[in-house]
Amino acid sequence: MTLTRPTWVALLLATIMLAAVTLAITYGQTAMPWSDSLQSAAGFTTNTPADFIVGQLRAPRTYTATLVGALLACSGVLLQSVARNPLASPDILGVTQGAAAAAVASIWAFGNTSSLALAPAAVAGALLTSALIVGVGWSRGIQPMRLIVAGIGIGFVASSITTYLLTAIPEHLAPQAYLWTIGSTNARVWEHVAIAAAAVAVTIPLALWLERRLRVLEMGDDLASGLGVRPVRLRLAAIALGALAAGLAAALTGPIGFVALVAPAIARRLVRTEGIALVPSIVAGAALTAVADLLARELFSPTQVPIGLFTAAIGAPYLLYLLHRARGLRS
Amino acid sequence: MPRLAFAALAAIALALVAVVASLAVGAQQIPAHDVWAAFVDYDAVNPSHQIVRELRVDRTVIGVAAGAALAVAGALTQSLTRNPLADPGLLGLNAGAALAIVLGTVVGGIASFAPQVLLAFVGAAGAGLVAYGVGATGAGAAAPARLVLAGAAVTALLTAVTSAIVVAQPFALNQLRFWLAGSLTGRAGVPVWPLVAFVAIAIALALLAVRPLSAIALGDDAAASLGTRAGLTRAHVLVTVIVLAGLATSLAGPIAFVGLAVPHLVRALVGPRIGWLLVLSIPLGAAVVLLCDVVGRIVARPGEISVGVTTALLGGVLLAALARRMRAVAP
Repeated sequence: MTLTRPTWVALLLATIMLAAVTLAITYGQTAMPWSDSLQSAAGFTTNTPADFIVGQLRAPRTYTATLVGALLACSGVLLQSVARNPLASPDILGVTQGAAAAAVASIWAFGNTSSLALAPAAVAGALLTSALIVGVGWSRGIQPMRLIVAGIGIGFVASSITTYLLTAIPEHLAPQAYLWTIGSTNARVWEHVAIAAAAVAVTIPLALWLERRLRVLEMGDDLASGLGVRPVRLRLAAIALGALAAGLAAALTGPIGFVALVAPAIARRLVRTEGIALVPSIVAGAALTAVADLLARELFSPTQVPIGLFTAAIGAPYLLYLLHRARGLRS
Repeated sequence: MPRLAFAALAAIALALVAVVASLAVGAQQIPAHDVWAAFVDYDAVNPSHQIVRELRVDRTVIGVAAGAALAVAGALTQSLTRNPLADPGLLGLNAGAALAIVLGTVVGGIASFAPQVLLAFVGAAGAGLVAYGVGATGAGAAAPARLVLAGAAVTALLTAVTSAIVVAQPFALNQLRFWLAGSLTGRAGVPVWPLVAFVAIAIALALLAVRPLSAIALGDDAAASLGTRAGLTRAHVLVTVIVLAGLATSLAGPIAFVGLAVPHLVRALVGPRIGWLLVLSIPLGAAVVLLCDVVGRIVARPGEISVGVTTALLGGVLLAALARRMRAVAP
């Protein structure tokens, strides 16, 4: 049996992801037998220290990071396909910042920091921002470069709201709130894993359902209309779904930057396509955050470094490289 | 030139109004005649006089200096790059300066101020060169949005590093978080007046660039035939911008968008004359920063909204509006 290129790319990336997850579970400051760690990570009780260290500390964090990576990549793929621009992603377009501002506002107003409580606010913030961006970037259809510049502007508005709330928050909450704005996978619990899994289970099938139509749309609006796809409606649906995924991701870990930008790009390059490659992108996102989370946890151990720093360290130079080549920017 | 004279008078009048408002308005309202009396007939036991002389004068002076510096830096950047979206804050210069200062104080333990300012210059220069090098050279250099994106990438990376550093040091965080939001209240131990003097010198240096910049605006060949050395002028302008951004950040933290917004305002008044643009950016920059600060004091009474938050809010809206004006291309 011969595999198609997207399939084996997805399998390769999945292998990397599984390796990173396994390493994150079995390796750490406290050495433990592999079998104990793996059993605890799967939710079994072993009556060894692994029950706490792996079962309560390492596993939830690693799983949350990995699932959030998948959500972010899903959001990035959808938005890049709609904007027809490899630079579009929820964090460039300001969607993530909108989600973060709404979530911090909800922490500030209600004092509740659980992800379940933050999720509605973050999703609402993400949807509202993306509606604003589409409103500004719209003129006889979506104008990609306009969309991006409008998004950067609206992102600034949202982050200034976050910044204000961070100065208004009581001193003892400030470090936690600050950490939250860079994106952190520290101290995640099983509740996070459950929400993340539910989010993935809802958004990714919907995205798969949209993918086929989006692929048709990439051949041009006229052709797509001829094939029974309604371009405007489809684009709006894709943006809304992308915002939903980004908002859920932000509610779980705070805004982890650049994953949504980089993961689809890695997938596209490996698959060698200019178009949408949803499954490989999602797996790439999961692999990326799994690796970044491991690095954030162990590289400067015992000091914990926020995962957002690592993804920014990978993603920002990549974005600069993309800009340097300046492809996809000639409007 | 009645129109230009009128514009100049209006700008100066607005700046004066802003100065008076900044001295009078706050958690403690002080009537204008008391403000006046605090200067001409100082009464050391009158609390109103004390507030004006001890707190609000410094704050207002910082606002004037930072506003003028940022606006002039923005006008220079926009003229040099011929990019209406250029701004030292958007390009990441302020974020670079802020990171350098945080690195110096928190990690390096530098307490005295002079080396901190030098660090700010280095940080601003590094960030600016990367963003400018990627965003304004090579293929597709003409796309204004590219510079903004490059700046956004640089800013995101630098801000992530800054946040990661301060988060690890709760003590530093509580000292720095207001300054990191952009604030005129001054960091402890900042010598205000020497910095203001340097700002004045740097603005004078900027004004020396008016003629060669006007010549360059005609194209490098035309400039050469007018006796202008384009390379030298670019270096002169870049150094001035870096110094202005570094000084403004040392004084008031990373304030974005003043450098974007004010030149647009001035151009609406006087058209594309570089000399007038730079000169009128001084009072209008001061006025915009002070008025934003005053609004921040009124809106959140008895607390305050940092000036960086207010300017980013206004500036983000402006950027979205500018995006709206970008030429629409057929889909």
